[in-house]
Amino acid sequence: MNKLPELLYQHIASHHIKQLELAWLKISPNSEEIISVGGAWQHYFQRLPVSGDSISDICEPLLGMLPFTKDFELPQMQLSEGQYTDISAVKDEECDWLLFCDVTEHTKQLQQYQQASNDLVLLKGELNRTLDRYVGHHVAERVAQGKLQLNLAGERREVSTLFVDIRGFTPFNESHDAQIVMQTLNEYMDGMLAPVLSKDGMVDKIIGDGAMALFGVLDSKYSNAQAAFFAAQDMLKNIATLNKHRQQQGLVQLGIGIGIATGDAVLGMLGSHDRRCFTAIGRHVNVAARLESKACAGEILVDLETYRRLENSDEFVLRRLFLKGIGEVDGYAYGFSK
Amino acid sequence: MLQKKICILGAAGAGKTSLTAQFVYSKFSEKYLSTMGVKIDRKKVVVGDTQVNLMIWDIHGEEKFKKITSSYLRGASGLVMVVDGTRPETITIAKEILQRVEQDVGDLPYVWLLNKADLVDEWSLSERHLNDLKEMNKPIYHTSAKTGEHVEDSFLALAEMLLLG
Repeated sequence: MNKLPELLYQHIASHHIKQLELAWLKISPNSEEIISVGGAWQHYFQRLPVSGDSISDICEPLLGMLPFTKDFELPQMQLSEGQYTDISAVKDEECDWLLFCDVTEHTKQLQQYQQASNDLVLLKGELNRTLDRYVGHHVAERVAQGKLQLNLAGERREVSTLFVDIRGFTPFNESHDAQIVMQTLNEYMDGMLAPVLSKDGMVDKIIGDGAMALFGVLDSKYSNAQAAFFAAQDMLKNIATLNKHRQQQGLVQLGIGIGIATGDAVLGMLGSHDRRCFTAIGRHVNVAARLESKACAGEILVDLETYRRLENSDEFVLRRLFLKGIGEVDGYAYGFSK
Repeated sequence: MLQKKICILGAAGAGKTSLTAQFVYSKFSEKYLSTMGVKIDRKKVVVGDTQVNLMIWDIHGEEKFKKITSSYLRGASGLVMVVDGTRPETITIAKEILQRVEQDVGDLPYVWLLNKADLVDEWSLSERHLNDLKEMNKPIYHTSAKTGEHVEDSFLALAEMLLLG
């Protein structure tokens, strides 16, 4: 290759090398002692380094870094506010060198990309946590891994749907300050939602004092119906514990009713272009909601399909029920009416 | 006066710069600005009867494609390992850094700072995470760069470890 013409070399140097404001320190081999200084030293140091100065007196950040046995780089050192310097330590045969390059402009450009990238990482984490909170860790993880498709077309499968609601909440709501109501609901929801998540269920929605959960969307070691029933039992235990604390504080007792039904449902996204949510649509979903409305405080009411799939179903009592919009059905009660 | 270099390390966005700003200047800003390279701050502290000038190297956060250069750690006496308490994955990142540091510069005294303790509702570190860190037998502090909770304590604890070591 031909030698680069001097004019072009000067052109490149003036554009690229000069803006680096190069400065260098020649130092005694294997020591901190400066022999000489060159280049744009005033760009980096407050006073002219002189022969015999110690490098850490001139450039404090290098304290403890010298002497050195092999070359090293310190990229993007902020020696003063907003000014970035690449420092290179280079070993020569008879001396050591320290080279200072101003990389402020380049670093500030990189910072914009870096900032955008870090903001995205943090935002992604925040969105994952939000998804986590709404649908549970397992669902969020599966969505992130692409194992669960939340699409508009929907997917048909058998699920067990659970509804839970506080009995007599309207009078409580009307007789207490909104802040107290909110605090109470949050305490109550802690005890209702944790069992859903721990039994591989998915919290579909929270409506005031009520919640809807789906079992069978996620893989589980339990059958859908069994998982829903175990979650319901844990809810009753949790409400009993919460009531114990509330009693000690002289607060109103809370009672919950639970309805569970099992059947085919279409799982998918429901809503408009701008606002969508994941849900399940199917006849048995309405049955579960109606069963919950019939359940007394402390009672779990399940439909025939759920009942058939449960182990220990002898703990249930048959109840003939009339469900609004559905008609007469057999319901199986656990808990209160036993 | 005794001079000690300490490096503050952790994942990007864990709050390293905010912790340093709180410790050195008692300041906090809600705005997140990515640190590029290294920013150096100094603070004099007193440990027993000894005055120590801490030179704090606030090193850019570790990312997948931007690993921390081990040359930054030359001459360091101790480390502040920062974890974002709202992001458990930052524990793994901190441990990876620590492993590389140990390979490159050997064992250094360090403390764990589980930061963002003020974000109670978003706190995501479980007992399992804590027990995992406890097994490493290093001091662990729940800090908040925002409120200042345990920030001074944790840096002073490290300074003490440096003098004793």
